[in-house]
Amino acid sequence: MRILIVEDEKPLLEQLSARLKQEGYAVDSATDGEEGLYLATEFPFDAAIVDLGLPKLSGIELISRARAGGKTFPILILTARGRWQEKVEGLEAGADDYLVKPFQMEELLARLRALVRRAAGWTQSHISCGPITLHTTTQAVTVAGRAVELTAYEYKVLEYLMLHTGQVVSKTDLTEHLYEQDFDRDSNVIEVFVGRLRRKLDPENQYNPIETLRGRGYRLTLERTPP
Amino acid sequence: MKFSLTARLLLAGTIVLTAFLGLTGLTLDRAFSDYAEKSLQERIQAQTVGLVAAAVLDDNGILHMPKTLPEARYDTLNSGLYAQITSNDGTQLWQSPSMGRQDIPLPRNIAPSGRHFQRIKYAGGELYSFSLGITFDLSEAIHEGYTFTVAENMAAYNEQITSFRDSLWGWLGGVALLLLAVQGLVLHWSLAPMRQVAEDLAAIESGRRQHLEGRYPREMLGLTDNINALLASQREHLDRHRHTLSDLAHSLKTPLAVLRGELDKSPPPEELPAIIGEQVLRMSEIVDYQLQRAATSGRLPLSAPLSVATAARKITASLNKVYADKRVLCQLHVTDNANFRGEEGDLLEVLGNLLDNAYKWCAQRVTVDAALDQDQGLRLSVEDDGPGITPQKADAVLQRGVRGDASNPGHGIGLAIVQDIVRVYKGTLTIEKSPTLGGAKIALFLPHP
Repeated sequence: MRILIVEDEKPLLEQLSARLKQEGYAVDSATDGEEGLYLATEFPFDAAIVDLGLPKLSGIELISRARAGGKTFPILILTARGRWQEKVEGLEAGADDYLVKPFQMEELLARLRALVRRAAGWTQSHISCGPITLHTTTQAVTVAGRAVELTAYEYKVLEYLMLHTGQVVSKTDLTEHLYEQDFDRDSNVIEVFVGRLRRKLDPENQYNPIETLRGRGYRLTLERTPP
Repeated sequence: MKFSLTARLLLAGTIVLTAFLGLTGLTLDRAFSDYAEKSLQERIQAQTVGLVAAAVLDDNGILHMPKTLPEARYDTLNSGLYAQITSNDGTQLWQSPSMGRQDIPLPRNIAPSGRHFQRIKYAGGELYSFSLGITFDLSEAIHEGYTFTVAENMAAYNEQITSFRDSLWGWLGGVALLLLAVQGLVLHWSLAPMRQVAEDLAAIESGRRQHLEGRYPREMLGLTDNINALLASQREHLDRHRHTLSDLAHSLKTPLAVLRGELDKSPPPEELPAIIGEQVLRMSEIVDYQLQRAATSGRLPLSAPLSVATAARKITASLNKVYADKRVLCQLHVTDNANFRGEEGDLLEVLGNLLDNAYKWCAQRVTVDAALDQDQGLRLSVEDDGPGITPQKADAVLQRGVRGDASNPGHGIGLAIVQDIVRVYKGTLTIEKSPTLGGAKIALFLPHP
């Protein structure tokens, strides 16, 4: 999952970015509205965290311009004031959720996970495709009720594939959503993750959950289980 | 710089007055001139007729004038009254002795029964003449007739007109000056309350007074009452800000003291991070709460009524996004005339906090009811189908800053903020059990000002 953070307070930006990276997110950051809007229009993000009081271009303006430009990824706004007028303005401009500063990091992570999941059309906190179930709040994975241990990156690859089940996901898509802007994009790494995922999820070769489409990418073959 | 009111009124008054008196003067002048000319005409016409009557035609058909003329002035040289009789075949028959040797171009050859008035300018002045065409037999042929002309010097007439004009414009001018002076006095008297207000405002500015106390005319009450309301609301604001500031300072001291105490312990207690976390949360809530209180605008004078329905829709649209996973069914029963007389931020704050709580606690359903209560004020209630609030908890919730349930942060502070805003608007807030949904029902009454 690739996340954009636009926040002008450097210490907070660093805290947020460090914590999100630790959680396995790819993070790009901007310290003013204009830079934020540039990143938001140029790169494929899965979600954005936008502070409302930004220099150069206000958070509300950034959000409405990004939405006007056809960007649909979920946006979480951070506000220092917490007056409803401001929250309503932000949500009306196109944000999806808000958090009032100061907030607890766990709260932010939970909201972010919920937003990404909801944006992919899942309304519950667990995602199920065939026998595989992802618990987004605890990041636990079960296959037919059996718990599977995954590393953070493996989890992110699986989560991305499951949120886009049935669709072809190219290696570029995966690298772009898993790594930030200036990361060395070695597609072999993705192949390694997918290979390991296959062994862990389907050690007996029962389901063959991840299909390789030569030259195009991967596809999760399992159907989404309705909640 | 705009013209002052006095200047505007004086200017307009002067223009209207001048135009009116000017037109009146012109009309009178014209009427008098017409009248004077008419009477002059009548006079010389009568004199001409007298002259005709005096003329005698002898048996040979020759016209004679008697020795004694009908008017003595015909005999006096340069008397200003002149007469001439000409025969229409070109011969001059008679001239009044008053003409002497003057060469006056009096009209000739007027057809029988012809009448002709003429102004004549010549070396000796201006004359007004009347000529009458006459025949003594019944012939109408022009060469057989006579022309009788009488001319009178216009000096007297002109003098009459001039003297009339002098007195007319003199009077009108006098009246105009008098009226202008009266107008000035009337203006001064009428605008006195305005000057009074300006003085009173200056007194307020310099701190000698609290509000406009004088008795003002009815037309100005709207203004002065609103200024008083504005001043009162400003003072109220200032008071509230002072209280908020001191409350903020005082309430922050407790958590700070706790932290200080823990830090002074040696060695530092193991649960220090937890204590710091707890106190930081408490301080941030205090700051939030006091900030909201300071941000409450209260009822500003002259604020337009706001639609509750619009604000409620804004809030529910926002909350439907935020609580998308919960799929809350929120019903609005808000009448079209339900409006809030105050600041939009306050209304959004009230609805936002009430609905946020309702969305947070409800199982599935939330309803909002709002209607005007017989023009007395706005009744607004928010209900949910959650666990509800017990009376004991309700008391605690309504105490400032006390949270209803520590496990769900924010519940208490939201209601406390709402209660605070309601208090600023001199309204009431009650916490009940929802009769229809079974959960909490928060009911507000906000009276109209």
